[in-house]
Amino acid sequence: MFKKFLSLEWKQFRRASYFKKGLAIKILMAFIVLYFGGIALAFGAGVFFIAKKAIPDVDPIETVNKFLIFWFLFDLLFRYFMQQLPVMNVKPLMVIPIKRSTVIHFLLGKTSISFFNILPLFIFIPFSIVMLFHGYPVLNVLGWFVSVVAITLCLNFTNFLVNKNNVVFYSILTVLAVFVGLEYYNIFKISEPIGNAFNVLYNNPYIAILPIGILVLLYKATFNFIKKGFYLDDAVSKKVKEVNATDLSWLNRFGSVAPFIKNDVKLIWRNVRPKQVMMMSFMFLFYGLFFFTQDTYREMPALLAFASMFITGGFLISFGQLVPSWDSEYYKMLMSQNIPYKQYLESKWYLMVFAVIISFILATPYIYFGWDIYAMIAAGAVFNVGLNSFITLFGGALNRVPIELNVKAKAFSNTNGFNPVQLLISLPKVFLPMILFYIPYKLIGFNAGLITIALSGVLGIVFRKYIFNFIVNVYKKGKYKTIAAFSEKK
Amino acid sequence: MIKTSNLIKTYNEVTVLNIENLEIPKGQSFGLVGNNGAGKTTYFSLLLDLIQPTTGSIKSKDVLVSESEDWKPFTSAFIDESFLIGYLTAEEYFYFIGELRGQNKQDVDALLAQFEDFFHDEILNKKKYLRDLSKGNQKKAGIVAALIGNPEVIILDEPFANLDPTTQIRLKGIIKDLAQTKGVTVLVSSHDLLHVTDVCERIVVLEKGEVIKDLATNPETLKELEAHFSGVAEV
Repeated sequence: MFKKFLSLEWKQFRRASYFKKGLAIKILMAFIVLYFGGIALAFGAGVFFIAKKAIPDVDPIETVNKFLIFWFLFDLLFRYFMQQLPVMNVKPLMVIPIKRSTVIHFLLGKTSISFFNILPLFIFIPFSIVMLFHGYPVLNVLGWFVSVVAITLCLNFTNFLVNKNNVVFYSILTVLAVFVGLEYYNIFKISEPIGNAFNVLYNNPYIAILPIGILVLLYKATFNFIKKGFYLDDAVSKKVKEVNATDLSWLNRFGSVAPFIKNDVKLIWRNVRPKQVMMMSFMFLFYGLFFFTQDTYREMPALLAFASMFITGGFLISFGQLVPSWDSEYYKMLMSQNIPYKQYLESKWYLMVFAVIISFILATPYIYFGWDIYAMIAAGAVFNVGLNSFITLFGGALNRVPIELNVKAKAFSNTNGFNPVQLLISLPKVFLPMILFYIPYKLIGFNAGLITIALSGVLGIVFRKYIFNFIVNVYKKGKYKTIAAFSEKK
Repeated sequence: MIKTSNLIKTYNEVTVLNIENLEIPKGQSFGLVGNNGAGKTTYFSLLLDLIQPTTGSIKSKDVLVSESEDWKPFTSAFIDESFLIGYLTAEEYFYFIGELRGQNKQDVDALLAQFEDFFHDEILNKKKYLRDLSKGNQKKAGIVAALIGNPEVIILDEPFANLDPTTQIRLKGIIKDLAQTKGVTVLVSSHDLLHVTDVCERIVVLEKGEVIKDLATNPETLKELEAHFSGVAEV
């Protein structure tokens, strides 16, 4: 039976839509996979030396053990956010004469070979090998490695059990934040006791039985959990929540754009996928921390200009590049209605502008890094509102990928962003602020660079009527193509 | 009202629709029947300019459908679930469509009040998103949404499928009323011969994209259609 299932899975994998994409995208995807795989491998192999260099008088394994707790917490968070559980595929198997337990075992087995469980292997295997090369005792390294993998799998099943639960997610997030904070300010170092626990485990490899035992228990718990819910009206069908219609009539002040804005707000609020995008764009806010904290980048203000643009542009870029795909589920209806494209686009634009403003307000703490940095972020925000928004909308118009609104995006199987046109369009988003800044910066000075960036945005706002008309024409030209692409089955 | 001339649609050199001439006068209830793949939905999609004709044209009230958008204000349709916005409640959806068609909340409410029977208390005030309604209830919402804004042309693809018997009968009443007393041109496609003959004054049979019968409905029409389709099945 398992063999049949496997062949089904293989077919599903091979016939998935992203394999039918063009050769260029395949190569690009392979590249990306290799790149990230390579980074993981290099990181795994390098951790040993990094740890040794950073804290020379402590055994690297102890340093690593200290940070494992953060790794695992982050792992859990990441999983909750991104990992898709395969429960939905159960439906066609329910009426077929196969033992329920077989199906569930298979399902659970399948989740354990997900990307989220393989990535840690890419890091921990090279790390273990490096340790062995340095003469660490085989048994201890093996015990440690097995434990780490077992814990990773534990997280996998824990995620299964708590995935529907937002409370858990936010508690983990809080716990992680608190631990990081306490650690950073040297108040209480959670890494010490946990690190010690892992040290004990490393020194006594037989303790590896413990995580394995927990894994077995969790597997059983998950198994029972699914078995209980293996009915149509339970786990397989989605829960229907009672909804309260929200009154958004205060948005009517936007005049003819109002119906669309009201709809777009609901779109973001009530669907899984756009919510995910919103959460992701929140992460962009912290993008500046990578750059502003390091002195090397201080010498390269062009890079800082790019980072500043990103801080306020997260939502704009990730939401905007999928206009009109957000409306793909009912695009045919929109096209048979008497809707002016311009108002449709304007509504999305207002949303993006609103997001930039909110991000800019949230970015206020960056003043800490100096007023020049903050001025740069402000210039970046103006650039985003006036120019980047339109570049992104233009790119979106060429991007005809249907979106399932209420389904989480899958990590790495989602090629929505990957089409050559999209890639070309994203180049100016990255390089334009850098160029706009760099040339006047070299010729005149820092402030001249800032003013140029901001001015480009102001120009965009002034001429937005023309730009809208231009994009509307792209929409009109691509109408039939877009409808056809959106009605394609995934 | 609707004038189709020399309309051909081909996909990869396969002709899926070929209508030389078809005129539908104002206020007619027009039924389109045919087996799967006969071209019914293709024809409706062309009427709504969702796909491009290979050659030929459709004129709706003298507006060339594929060139101008002026047909949109007086035309409405429900083709399939992709006409619904899944994350809205039924009321929100009706108001949204209303806003697109220049109707305020009161206008929409007044219209909805007429369809209380048809909704059978399963659509309004349910506090459910449209995506969570059953197929039949989704269809009810979609059909009523197509009536918002006093359209002169209404296009319904398979309106009877998925509906329960009571609702089917009520829908027939609604369609008849629209065509006979309000002068609305109603285009309906269906696999259910009994329902179309009940509702439509005129029935056109499509087969492999071509019009092979054009009948004014009379008491004998149902028999004629049944004979025709059982013949098709035997061949």
